[in-house]
Amino acid sequence: MTYLNRNTILQTILALLAGFGLGLAYSWFLSPVTYVDATPALLRADFKDQYRTVIAASYAANQDLARAQARLSLLGDADPVAELSAQAQRMLAEGEPFEKVRPLAQLATDLQQGFVSEPFTSTPIPSFNTPDSPQNTPTATNVLKVDEGEITFTPLPTILFEQTALTPLAQDTLTPRPTFTPTPGPGTPFALASQETICDPGMSKLMQFIFMDSRRDQVPGVEIVVTWNEGEDRFFTGFKPELGNGYADFVMEADAVYNIRIVTGGAFVPDISPPVCTDPNGVEYPGAILLTFQQP
Amino acid sequence: MSSSKLITIFVVLDIGIALGIVYGWVIDPVQFTNVTPDLLREDYRVDYVLMTAEAYQNDFDPDAAARRLALLGSDSPASFVASALEYASRNAFTQDEIQALQNLLTAMQTYQPGPDQIP
Repeated sequence: MTYLNRNTILQTILALLAGFGLGLAYSWFLSPVTYVDATPALLRADFKDQYRTVIAASYAANQDLARAQARLSLLGDADPVAELSAQAQRMLAEGEPFEKVRPLAQLATDLQQGFVSEPFTSTPIPSFNTPDSPQNTPTATNVLKVDEGEITFTPLPTILFEQTALTPLAQDTLTPRPTFTPTPGPGTPFALASQETICDPGMSKLMQFIFMDSRRDQVPGVEIVVTWNEGEDRFFTGFKPELGNGYADFVMEADAVYNIRIVTGGAFVPDISPPVCTDPNGVEYPGAILLTFQQP
Repeated sequence: MSSSKLITIFVVLDIGIALGIVYGWVIDPVQFTNVTPDLLREDYRVDYVLMTAEAYQNDFDPDAAARRLALLGSDSPASFVASALEYASRNAFTQDEIQALQNLLTAMQTYQPGPDQIP
């Protein structure tokens, strides 16, 4: 190959590369592909948070777990439950009120357990043992007619109509499960039911809380304040749904003494410190403590 | 440099540009990962509005609904709901869903932001 030919090939290659570079610069920087039909998975993180919040708010309204799950899958999160819990924690840390965070925690909990834990109606109306048609609601006229024997009802409704003490039917009642109450009323304080020492090196210095109502159902949304010499921390139950709706935990310092105040319900537990455990080799280490609170 | 050589170089340059554009637009286009909600596909936008409407059915909080809809862009909240309602009517949404959107549209048409909502 002559020098001239080599020179020509070199120039051709250089021209091709220069052209390719120009084309690439144009298509990447000057006129890049414009997205007009993006999916929620491509949203910026803060918009994803907002999207998740709306999904949870919608779920709080319609209680459609499958639909909420399908909507969450659009965001492309590897672990939607963990993302919901993490977002709830972030919002609390930023000072958002619990009422605003609760739908996220509730959705996370329900996804974790696989069913709707909160009944659709927050104030359910029990069904009564009345005749089927609503026009047969006991009115003064109806009662009068029954008394006169003009209408022949079956004996049981007739008795109820005369007594006007309508009895809810057990099988028709909408709420076999109690209404969801994230923050128990002030009249139902939590009391420390048990305090257990857990000697497990993997849980060293962990202070665990479990809150239960009088039916031993775990209660989310209980605010706990832990204070010690150097500071204070506050958190809520229900943000680790994989460990239970009424669960919360806190990592202690080995040599610190903690006071615990339950904001919701007003219980106070002083002087909690990590228990001393001993491993099989005789070496001491700080253990964990499990505090169980229950409403009477 | 002869004119034929110049022509050859320009042709090769053009081919290079064409290849570069094909590569940048088709083979390896710019990947957007932090898009804003106004770029969402229409059905996702409508579903977002529907979720807002469902939430509104529960909390009856027009401020919260307007804030949620503001995520979709700078148009009025009512216009987003109106578009969603039109889409829902065209695409056989259930009566409950259409009713929820209708309720939200009514709320947004009469919505007046409070002093703390005005930027």
